[in-house]
Amino acid sequence: MIFLRVRVVGVLRRCCCCSPQASALVKLRNPSLPTSTYPSAVTTSRALSTSWTLRKDAPQPQDVDARHELDLDVWKSVMRSQALQEEKRKDGEDREEESTTEVEGELSPLESSRRLVETWRLAGKLVPENITDEQLETLAELTTKSSKKKFLKYLAIKEGHKKANKEKKERKRAERMAETKEDPELAEGEREEMDGEEEGEPKLKNTYLMQFWSRSMDKLLGWRVAQAMQFGQPLVYDMSYDQHMSRQEMENTVSQLLETEGWNRRAVDPFHLHFCNLQPNGAYHRELLKRYSQETWERLLITATSQRHIDIFPRESLVYLTADSPNVLRTFDYSKVYIVGALVDRSIQTGVSLANAKRLKLATARLPLDEYLHWDSGAKNLTLDQMIRILMTAKETGSWEKALEFVPKRKHTGFHQQRKKDNCLLWW
Amino acid sequence: MGSFAFVKYLRPLFGHQLPRRSVPAALRRKDHPNVQLYCTSKEKRRPEAQSRKSSQREEPAFPKSVFAAGTAKRTADFLKRRAGTGTDPEQAGGLSRDRASFRGEIPERPLSAPEWRKLKESSSSPERFEVRMMALMLAAEADVNIAKSLLAYVAMEKGEVPYMLLLRYLALCVSGGHHSEVLDTYDVMRSCFKALDSGAYSLLIKGFGQTERWREALVMLEEMKKVIMPSPRNYGDAIAGAFLHGDGETGWMLYGELLELRLTPNQDTWQCLFENASTEHQQRHRLADVLTYMRENQVYPEEPLARSIKAWFESLPDEKWRGRFSSVDSSGRCRGCRAELESIELTEEEYAQLRHRVMTHVIEGRDVFNKTTPEELESFKSFVKKSPAFDVIVDGLNVASVSPKGPKSQTLLAVVSELRDQGLNVLVLGRKHMLRPSWNWDRHDIHQIRQRSLCFFTENISEDDPFLLYAALHSGNHCNFVSRDLMRDHKACLPDGATRRLFFKWQRGHQLVVQGYVPGKKVRFQRALRCDTVIQSTGAAWHVPYDEDGAERSTYEVPQRWLCLTKEQQ
Repeated sequence: MIFLRVRVVGVLRRCCCCSPQASALVKLRNPSLPTSTYPSAVTTSRALSTSWTLRKDAPQPQDVDARHELDLDVWKSVMRSQALQEEKRKDGEDREEESTTEVEGELSPLESSRRLVETWRLAGKLVPENITDEQLETLAELTTKSSKKKFLKYLAIKEGHKKANKEKKERKRAERMAETKEDPELAEGEREEMDGEEEGEPKLKNTYLMQFWSRSMDKLLGWRVAQAMQFGQPLVYDMSYDQHMSRQEMENTVSQLLETEGWNRRAVDPFHLHFCNLQPNGAYHRELLKRYSQETWERLLITATSQRHIDIFPRESLVYLTADSPNVLRTFDYSKVYIVGALVDRSIQTGVSLANAKRLKLATARLPLDEYLHWDSGAKNLTLDQMIRILMTAKETGSWEKALEFVPKRKHTGFHQQRKKDNCLLWW
Repeated sequence: MGSFAFVKYLRPLFGHQLPRRSVPAALRRKDHPNVQLYCTSKEKRRPEAQSRKSSQREEPAFPKSVFAAGTAKRTADFLKRRAGTGTDPEQAGGLSRDRASFRGEIPERPLSAPEWRKLKESSSSPERFEVRMMALMLAAEADVNIAKSLLAYVAMEKGEVPYMLLLRYLALCVSGGHHSEVLDTYDVMRSCFKALDSGAYSLLIKGFGQTERWREALVMLEEMKKVIMPSPRNYGDAIAGAFLHGDGETGWMLYGELLELRLTPNQDTWQCLFENASTEHQQRHRLADVLTYMRENQVYPEEPLARSIKAWFESLPDEKWRGRFSSVDSSGRCRGCRAELESIELTEEEYAQLRHRVMTHVIEGRDVFNKTTPEELESFKSFVKKSPAFDVIVDGLNVASVSPKGPKSQTLLAVVSELRDQGLNVLVLGRKHMLRPSWNWDRHDIHQIRQRSLCFFTENISEDDPFLLYAALHSGNHCNFVSRDLMRDHKACLPDGATRRLFFKWQRGHQLVVQGYVPGKKVRFQRALRCDTVIQSTGAAWHVPYDEDGAERSTYEVPQRWLCLTKEQQ
């Protein structure tokens, strides 16, 4: 109330101060204002002059610019003062400790890589938060700027995935805690479980089903693979392609080998896997030891040798599977030993595995992809885990339709018979 | 008509004069510049250069050659049009749309802090608002005061301005040429951050080069070297700065450093060197060295640089140089000054070196099994040794697929017969599946081919191109080969740039390409070039091939236009 009165008075005062230009005073009746309590001299309507302009509101160019000039350069002074403060702090610290003067001479490659990463992080480029010394060394070995950028981008994306996974896990755990807090009975059960775990003995559930431990599954599969190692059909992975692959491709190869070993172990009738031409302390071996730890690698039920496959098996039974071969594999032969080259060629190198086979004068074959599939677009070189799943299925069922299900669907547009059936349906 | 072209082509092969046939009046180029001497096939279109320019320009000598600038683009456009896809208009519209949308988001005038705050809250992503806004301003080249107001707001809000924002603001100032702002920003960044990133250094080198504090750009170049190799663009900016402020020696010193680091200078760097060079004798040597560098690395200047070169030559006071833009005719003479240009034939040592390198790197490579087998190679070597010297090698599979109509063996037979009729010794290379009778490979045709020429058939899984190169190189310098394949994958197997350029030179002089053959018509070949398209000089003349403005030339093509500089004899 009081505020309103003051404002009205103020408006009137200002009206008197302004130069009396001829104009129409527009009186607005504000119905919300209580009219009875005010003296009649002060009207309840506000006088709104459309032509009289108040000096305050008129745009005055010089003032605005001057104000903006002050405003615009204020960030410089802010930053400089901050810098001064930091320097003072640093000076203070320096007086306490004898800091070595930073002579900016030649930086070691590791140091220069580290500085590069830090400055690029400040500048907002896609760079990981934490980077290990090993990764810095690989970064220092790369020569061109674009290769460094790509490597850092790869590390940043990997780190981003890990962080996202961790956050997701945290969120899920928080949700679960929230749920259990709501439900008091479940909370009871949870607390009892937690107590049980603290004691070291899991609480037994009241059920007639016996728990099937993963240990039992491992043992079962292990026995099956052991039987295959003695009596089963061998399958050779040729590891003689160290020189043809880059570091990243080598990591991909070993990931695929891990997967093949897993799929083989879980098959109904496993192969006896041989990793031939595996040089001890070669690139493959180091990477395999990194991915499997030393103990797991030694306990793995495969045969890893540095001998060549030619020395282990008779030459007539060997068939090298490669996409460049002119011969097509029509039926899966149970008496032959198939060889798959452990090569990932993201940088396309045609004919490398065929060259190996030609050198040793081995029979070659390729999968009957064109005979059964309508190929769309994509390389006919398949990954190692796809290969083993195809071969396993072909061995079990003998039918290529079922086996070639494992070729990635993006590369082809359907089997031949399927397409024919679809066409017939369309005609109807 | 075609045989006239043949006569000209065959003359160097034989060395004795063939009788001059009379050219019908209708075919004289002077009267009918539209008539081309080659047989017409469907992808006929005059080069745009001719239709655009005035009639005073002479016709380029080899408009249809595979190695002429712009052929690849023309063919690609033609095929795209034939396939019915047209994407260019959409792309152009898209770009202008983006720029307009940038301007819409940026405020018109410098805003105060509360206004920025309001804008930030109303935006879609408040956390990245400032950086995004600054990036938009950079893209739309907005007024620097608006950017300053944004920085002021950020400073007041948070107490400090993040590095990312300062970096983009610096980019805006450098591109807008606001020198005082650049200097101020540099001081602020220096005092607040202990190390700057490579992008900031590039911008600062460019910015400082335009101000009086240009010497600090050199310091920054040194700092940048600690972390990452500076790019030719950085050196170019520093050199431009040095020359702008009159210090030629520093500019040349930087140029020397650039060459030592084995980076290729940009075209504007050279242009800067030519425009700011004086006419003293020492400078002339330096500029001659620049031209020699361009010659050795087979780098062609673009039109602005060519103009600068011409201007510099014409500005020399004691020697009267005259420059004109011309082209080369079919006999290897410059149309401007009637001088004969360097021949495209390799010298003996170059030839021997190329032969050796192709053998070791292309045919054998890291693993001879990749392309063939050792036994096959040995048998081919002995075959070549015991046969008489060949004049033409034919890539059977490539030539046979020239015409889409009719069986392949028919096309091959036509080509071989044509070459045989000119009295040449022919070797045909193919694969063993050609001997198996089928619709494409008629037994009778193959028999006739084997009667008219020597044949060698490789295994079906071996590559036949390396054999072609081997046979062509071992038969002597006069031997040509027929193929449409540009041999780029084999050129890439060679170890270093010099050998690759040698191979390219040999290829341009010796490769014959069959020109649009249809069964029933006469077989025609594209004419091989007589002269080497590279910067060359005699004492009294310089000839510089250059790229015209707007000409899209692939790396395996050579330019058709030349700058001819002649010194007038006193």
